[in-house]
Amino acid sequence: MECQFGLSGNGYVLLAASTTAVRSIVKMKHDQDNIKVLGPQLIMSYSGEPGDTIQFAEYIERNIRLYQIRNFHALRPSSAASWLRRQLADSLRSRNPYAVNILLGGYDNATSKPHLYWMDYLGTLTNQPYAAQGYGSYFVLSLLDRYHNPEASLEEGLETLRRCIDEVEKRLVVSQGKYIVKVVDKDGVRVIEL
Amino acid sequence: MNTLVSRFTSSSSTELKALDSRDPDYGENEASDITWGSLGGFGNLGLNGIPSFNIPTVPDPTAFLRLHTDDAADSSCRIKIQHGTTTLAFRFQGGVIVAVDSRATAGSYIASGTVKKVIEINPHLLGTMAGGAADCQFWETYLGSQCRIYELRNRERISVAAASKYLSNLVYSYKGMGLSMGTMICGWDKTGPAIFYVDSDGTRLKGDVFSVGSGSTFAYGVLDQGYRWDLTDEEAQELGRRSIYAAGHRDAFSGNTCNLYHVKEDGWKFIGNYDITKLHYEGSQGAAYGYDQRTQ
Amino acid sequence: MQYNGGSIVAMVGKNCVAIASDLRLGNQALTIATDFEKVFPITDRIYLGMAGLATDVLTLRERFRFRVNMYSIKEEREIEPKTLAQLVSSTLYERRFGPYFIEPIIAGLTDSSKGSQPFIASADLIGCLNFAKDFVVVGTAEDKLLGVAEGLWEPDLEPEDLFETISQTLLNAVDRDAFSGWGAVVHVITPDKVITRTLKGRMD
Repeated sequence: MECQFGLSGNGYVLLAASTTAVRSIVKMKHDQDNIKVLGPQLIMSYSGEPGDTIQFAEYIERNIRLYQIRNFHALRPSSAASWLRRQLADSLRSRNPYAVNILLGGYDNATSKPHLYWMDYLGTLTNQPYAAQGYGSYFVLSLLDRYHNPEASLEEGLETLRRCIDEVEKRLVVSQGKYIVKVVDKDGVRVIEL
Repeated sequence: MNTLVSRFTSSSSTELKALDSRDPDYGENEASDITWGSLGGFGNLGLNGIPSFNIPTVPDPTAFLRLHTDDAADSSCRIKIQHGTTTLAFRFQGGVIVAVDSRATAGSYIASGTVKKVIEINPHLLGTMAGGAADCQFWETYLGSQCRIYELRNRERISVAAASKYLSNLVYSYKGMGLSMGTMICGWDKTGPAIFYVDSDGTRLKGDVFSVGSGSTFAYGVLDQGYRWDLTDEEAQELGRRSIYAAGHRDAFSGNTCNLYHVKEDGWKFIGNYDITKLHYEGSQGAAYGYDQRTQ
Repeated sequence: MQYNGGSIVAMVGKNCVAIASDLRLGNQALTIATDFEKVFPITDRIYLGMAGLATDVLTLRERFRFRVNMYSIKEEREIEPKTLAQLVSSTLYERRFGPYFIEPIIAGLTDSSKGSQPFIASADLIGCLNFAKDFVVVGTAEDKLLGVAEGLWEPDLEPEDLFETISQTLLNAVDRDAFSGWGAVVHVITPDKVITRTLKGRMD
């Protein structure tokens, strides 16, 4: 039931994730941060089976950190995405697979380009200018087809993101409450108050 | 008449007849005047306005029908009823815009790309088609003849509210028997432009913006963001087209072409038929709708 | 097999072969991406296409790259199409009781010392090979592809004619399939070069 959106613009990637944690018919938490900072210029939003999400996200977070400590440099977004995909694909055919859907946003310093990856719990990976996950995707993907601009400034990108959140708020039966928004660009990762 | 049939007649106002050659009415009905007469294919509905249908002689006809047609429960079922659609209608300053796609799918097979999903009930009323194609086509055409009778009796046109209520009551009397339709009855009456959403559950809603079908969420995404009451006629038509394009692009079960109608005070007007792939690459007035084409 | 959608076709021509796929990546009815390639080069003159579950397409692409590299290191020569077909088959059969949900197509030319003979083959998801002399099809539009190919294909087509035939076959077949389409990519393999073209297709 959670929603995640991501969109790239001129030199940045924005990720937004709903902050409500639901169990049965109860909202357990209203300020859950479902976007992990994996590196100086890499962020990951996640949703899916409760329990799996946090376990998997922390496993990813620690291993990406370990790579950085061992090699004295962070994984580039495309490499991180490939490694992450492999973790999910291997998990899928294990006795107890993780059911976690992911959006991965990163800024590649080597090429000075933003990257956004869409990934589902099966390990399907695709690189997109904008992406969404959860029931919200059925409303916002067409919206982003119409309004997304790859050359948009951060302010314009946030405007588009607000449109997405408003649309989901308007049409989706369950209200998603607040969203946490993070941006990654050449200066690193920041939280943005909408 | 057997007990089964009487069970059904007591649970609904509709009279049902078992398809049974032992029934004394059976042979007579098949060749009766109303079957071959001038009732325009509605002969089975009888002259007193109470519809009657032949039903299979099995213990539970509804379950029997579902067994052979319900794609969701059993995808290997033999009879695949047409589904997967995007239809939308919205009210604005200049009247009502009605836009629909034209794809019919049976499973993953695209059975047709040229379906007319707007049913022209009469010169002032339009109905849209989502769900069972035959159900929508039949009952909305039937609604058309009832609306005409109303006009002759009352010397004035039926209101959109009354027409939609008529349809709603009608399909509600068949509730639980497998009718499947989600339709918007759109028109212009004494109160101005009006849209009513009517479905086979018996729901009937009055509103400004509606979209129905498997691609409706995608249509809403574009429609809601571009919608204002004071849209010009051209802007409104463009919004209708764009919303259907959006659904055609993202939803596997919608697409092919977009049929666009505009209802004004003097009745509806057919605006055009637009190929969705053409809208993607070229747009309708110069600017292409496709993301890559738009951002290049 | 219908979860992500997608279709592939390969055809034999005169001293050439062609392989083509659509570009859709879906999640049931929802189209996620329209740039998802399913056909990959294995050597300069052999291409491998996989239709089915997208995660397995990606996993197997990596696995086949690894296995083919190991083969060329050990054998100190490029793999032959028929050897690749056997390799694909045995890789799939390894997972007989928990299969990869993909159906592969192999299209390529044999080594020039053996006369650059055209070769195509397909297999089911557990590796039953099907060697054909005309064309092979897999994916959600396979029944439609088979029908169109049956009507359009003829023996001994030159590369440009083969390109036209395979393109028309693919585009017209996927237009009748809800889960395939959204653009296409075609590779025509000839003894001296591979011609790759991206086609505009219906986007709905």
